[in-house]
Amino acid sequence: MASTSASHAPDAPHPHGGGAGRLILVWLALLALTATTFGVSQLPIGHLHLPAAIFIACLKVVLVVLFFMHLWHAEGSNRIVFVVSFFFVIVLLFFVLADIATRFPLSNSRIPPMPQVDQKLVPSGMPPGMPAPTGSHTGEEGHR
Amino acid sequence: MQHSAAAQQLTPEGWLPPPPLPHHYDDRVSHANAVRFGMWLFLGTEVLLFAGVFTGYFTFRAYFPEAFDQAARHLSLFLGTLNTFLLLTSSLTVALAHHNAERGKNHNAFWLLVVSVLMGGGFLVIKGIEYHEKFVEHALPGKFFNFAEITAPGGPVFYVVYFFATGLHALHVIVGMSLLTWVAVRAWRKEFSPTYYAPLENAGLYWHLVDLVWIFLYPLLYLV
Repeated sequence: MASTSASHAPDAPHPHGGGAGRLILVWLALLALTATTFGVSQLPIGHLHLPAAIFIACLKVVLVVLFFMHLWHAEGSNRIVFVVSFFFVIVLLFFVLADIATRFPLSNSRIPPMPQVDQKLVPSGMPPGMPAPTGSHTGEEGHR
Repeated sequence: MQHSAAAQQLTPEGWLPPPPLPHHYDDRVSHANAVRFGMWLFLGTEVLLFAGVFTGYFTFRAYFPEAFDQAARHLSLFLGTLNTFLLLTSSLTVALAHHNAERGKNHNAFWLLVVSVLMGGGFLVIKGIEYHEKFVEHALPGKFFNFAEITAPGGPVFYVVYFFATGLHALHVIVGMSLLTWVAVRAWRKEFSPTYYAPLENAGLYWHLVDLVWIFLYPLLYLV
């Protein structure tokens, strides 16, 4: 970087982002984290899968934002925009999920499982229980 | 800047002189900072757009956990992981294109952008293969759902979330590829230099955001 900075016009924006080597290191770290999240998802850890996946995804996002998107070197104003928008995402998710987690069981969670339907009996393209394309109004009653 | 007279003549360093500085900016640094700040503000709104999609995902996942579990097992883990690799690598090549453009190496930047656009195209082809599979299986949203292997309630809802989230993301991939093509043409014309590379930088920022969204979509849809 020091060798190229001599060729800049006096009012040139300062080139940032470090060397190409660092970008490739970040890319290797991202691939390693992808392999990690894949490996963790195969472990028998039950309900910890979701928090683990989100944690690793957040690590990857931090790497991309800081180095590929150059927020590491950016002016403070740009950092504020991104941090604030992420904060609002967390506010949205937190209150929606807190609401869902503390509700009594909803009626639509008690819908019994759909019966196994012999696919040969279902007219092609029509979901089970729907009238056949040629069926008249009375024919629909006859189906049930 | 002696822009208007010598618009098409390369400087001794081998790039075109930058376009004239808008008169309300003191210098190129403050102009570049303002342009970058505007892009970050736009990316902030994009983050909030996708936040709505992810909120929908978590809500319906909480209502229909079994259906989401069954449906996720029918997605191709191999194709999803391959797409993750493609997008992460294209983000690297875009970052390297930016690295070259801000040093005036337009030729390198052009080829890195071409590779990035090709990887974006590869992503869309793989996504198309996955979509085709879903259409053949009738693993589709709402009333079009007719997929006997998902027995728990809420299967159609999973595919509403799946097709909306990945479709909105694919739309962003298409827009991002268009932006990268546009700045690739400008790099081919040697328009970027240490004093002027904001269009390439902003197109790159958009592409990285597309990558960020996929970083969350991949584990949520395919892995957990």
